[in-house]
Amino acid sequence: MTEPVIEIERLEEMANQIADFFSPYPEERAVEGIRNHLRNYWDPRMREALRDHDNAGGAGLHPRVRLAVARLREDADLRAYAGPPRGAA
Amino acid sequence: MPNPLKPESSAITTCAYCGVGCGFKAETRDGRIVRMTPWKEGKANHGHACVKGRFAYDYYLAPDRATTPMIRRSIADEWQPVDWDTAFAHAASELTRIQTEHGRGSIGGVSSSRCTNEEIFLVQKLVRCAMRNNNVDNCSRICHSPTQFGLSATLGAGAASQHFDSVLQSDAILVVGANPTEGHPVFGSMMKRRIREGARLLVIDPRRTETVDSPHCRATVHLGLRPGTNVAVLNSVSHVIVREGLVNRAFVDARTETDEFDVWADHVADDRYGPDVIGPHAGLDPDEIRRLARIYASGPNSTIYYGLGVTEHSQGSTGVMCLGNLAMACGMIGREGVGVNPLRGQGNVQGGSCLGSWPHMFTGYRFVTDPVVRGEFEAEWGIELDPEPGLRLPNMFDAAVTGAFRGMYIQGEDPVQSDPNHHHVVRALEAMDCVIVHDLFLTETAKYAHVFLPGSSSLEKDGTFTNAERRVSRVRKIVEPVAGLADWQITMRLMQALGYDCHYEHPSEILDEIARTSPAYRGMSFDLIDRVGSVQWPCDENAPEGTEVLHTERFPRGRGNFMLTEYVPTRERTTDEHPLLLTTGRILSQYNVGTQTRRTANTVWYPEDVLEITRDDAETRGIKDGDWVGIASRFGSTRLRAKISERVNPGIVYTTFHYAQTMVNKVTSDLSDWATNCPEYKVTAVEVLRVAAEPAAATEASGVPAGAAGA
Repeated sequence: MTEPVIEIERLEEMANQIADFFSPYPEERAVEGIRNHLRNYWDPRMREALRDHDNAGGAGLHPRVRLAVARLREDADLRAYAGPPRGAA
Repeated sequence: MPNPLKPESSAITTCAYCGVGCGFKAETRDGRIVRMTPWKEGKANHGHACVKGRFAYDYYLAPDRATTPMIRRSIADEWQPVDWDTAFAHAASELTRIQTEHGRGSIGGVSSSRCTNEEIFLVQKLVRCAMRNNNVDNCSRICHSPTQFGLSATLGAGAASQHFDSVLQSDAILVVGANPTEGHPVFGSMMKRRIREGARLLVIDPRRTETVDSPHCRATVHLGLRPGTNVAVLNSVSHVIVREGLVNRAFVDARTETDEFDVWADHVADDRYGPDVIGPHAGLDPDEIRRLARIYASGPNSTIYYGLGVTEHSQGSTGVMCLGNLAMACGMIGREGVGVNPLRGQGNVQGGSCLGSWPHMFTGYRFVTDPVVRGEFEAEWGIELDPEPGLRLPNMFDAAVTGAFRGMYIQGEDPVQSDPNHHHVVRALEAMDCVIVHDLFLTETAKYAHVFLPGSSSLEKDGTFTNAERRVSRVRKIVEPVAGLADWQITMRLMQALGYDCHYEHPSEILDEIARTSPAYRGMSFDLIDRVGSVQWPCDENAPEGTEVLHTERFPRGRGNFMLTEYVPTRERTTDEHPLLLTTGRILSQYNVGTQTRRTANTVWYPEDVLEITRDDAETRGIKDGDWVGIASRFGSTRLRAKISERVNPGIVYTTFHYAQTMVNKVTSDLSDWATNCPEYKVTAVEVLRVAAEPAAATEASGVPAGAAGA
């Protein structure tokens, strides 16, 4: 585990804000939306720091952020849907 | 004796101040500008001008203009003047050393909306091709990045749907979080003209701005909402439209994703967004929310203009989506007189957005993570490109604090004065090994720089600007660059020093490259712009001379998309220690952080930033008009003079951010938009206290009131 590129409290706050935006969406769409946002807009070192934090228990992370991070981990190489938050699931 | 003011020659150019981008005839004598007159043929301004563009041009000859490249080992050392070659070689060797020691991603750059499209494009090319990463950003990060995000999500294009003249066919004009009569005065005048002809004006703004009430301009409805409640109020407006059956169902069926519309309609129609719930929360009369909704929905032509009062919030992108949703629900998009239009702050912010100075996007708003798009650029530039998004501007500062980010090329930006959480920015800059500032003056940021590259003003170089209505106009060299090189030449030379081989004889070649790599600019060239005056993108084979109104038949994303816009209150709340809310804005005669306008006679109109406060809030604190006051938040404090004002509501204070001695960003918070990290400049909990007199110097140390830290 490397030093986080940005203080984890800051990343946690940013990630939770993304989850708050997707809160009115059904779980599947929300998790995919959070995952796509992290994949397309976050520097890989920021994603890595978030993954490390999640691995260490993810204290303070919104549950949907944790699900999105799990999905990032599973398909790290998969290209994200390249666009704004998508309407359809 | 010949008249010393009689010009000998002239050229047409584009004003670099606000996003209106007025055409001017710049007249010179003996190599100096003697007069700027508004250009009658200018399609953005039709021969009109404001007090900035008309008179505030002689900053280029200010006595403190920097004219020599300089370097130093440490920011504690004195600057050492050097020649250009030495400066470039030093900068390149430092950046290369940092990358060798700390990795490819340890450096980056930021471009400026005061620079031309061509120069902004070159900065991103430098970062991607010479630094070999995507750590590049532009200053719209801190103003209109939510516009690009929110409008892309709903409509598919992050830009104004209309041309300015479109407002002359509007019947209802909704202005949200903007003050065009002061911030975008030439457009503001056109809007006033339409209001005199009978158009109804609807304003959503915490402050009774000049736009709300001034000669020829009076709002039919003004929702003076509490700062931070935009999304709640806009959802409530949509609530009324859905519940009262004011939706334009024919438009929704023909042009949008109807499934998404149905979900959205249920969302906003929920009781929790009813005016009777939201009104009291936002400090509004519920019936006024209803009135605004009914007038907007009834048109026949209703249009939306908005500014930083929408974007600079923790829900900035959500607020922009609300506006896209609203326009689609009422069918107010896709023809003249309607639309959704961001009023851009600086002359070339739209260009800054278009030209690929983004850590996640190339020109034309296409993702770096998309291998097809990346392949096009790799073919054009002959180099393999980083497939991952880079750090955004605030992330660069965050990463500097942890030691992961150590070198930065800053073109024409002054983050120490303009970016949020001043103390954090200073701490980040102090932690870096090599900061390269490329600017006209030794700015506040230059105090923390190791290399200084003296830039050229927009009066001293050729290029193009893209204004807030997507209009690309020529910037023409009126006088020679004071320091010898145009900005595009400086960036090109730095790129060469870093080992990436590229060469341009003239900026027209850079626009040609932009046209090859950017769909919306495909038909653009200096020749075309010279021939027709100015061209609005998209400009391509289907629209060889550009496009005035977007979305007439379809949206760039196909069908319009309704986004769900849950109201999430900002974490910034008033407390016993900080019972007032500070919001910020600008004034007619000054411009942004004032680097240019403060160096002109325009200071006569507005010599300092002042704090607007209601009489009651002032009296309970023993403050009289003109008193010096200290203003403090959880983040820091500053001092300025108080002005008793009826333009703000009780509990709210307001100031501008034009002066370095005030530096309001010492006070503003570190909260930012969920999608883009655009800072929440518009809402900060503060306390205001009377202080004895003008401070002698820096005020940081005088500090935050006891007990406030970490509140």
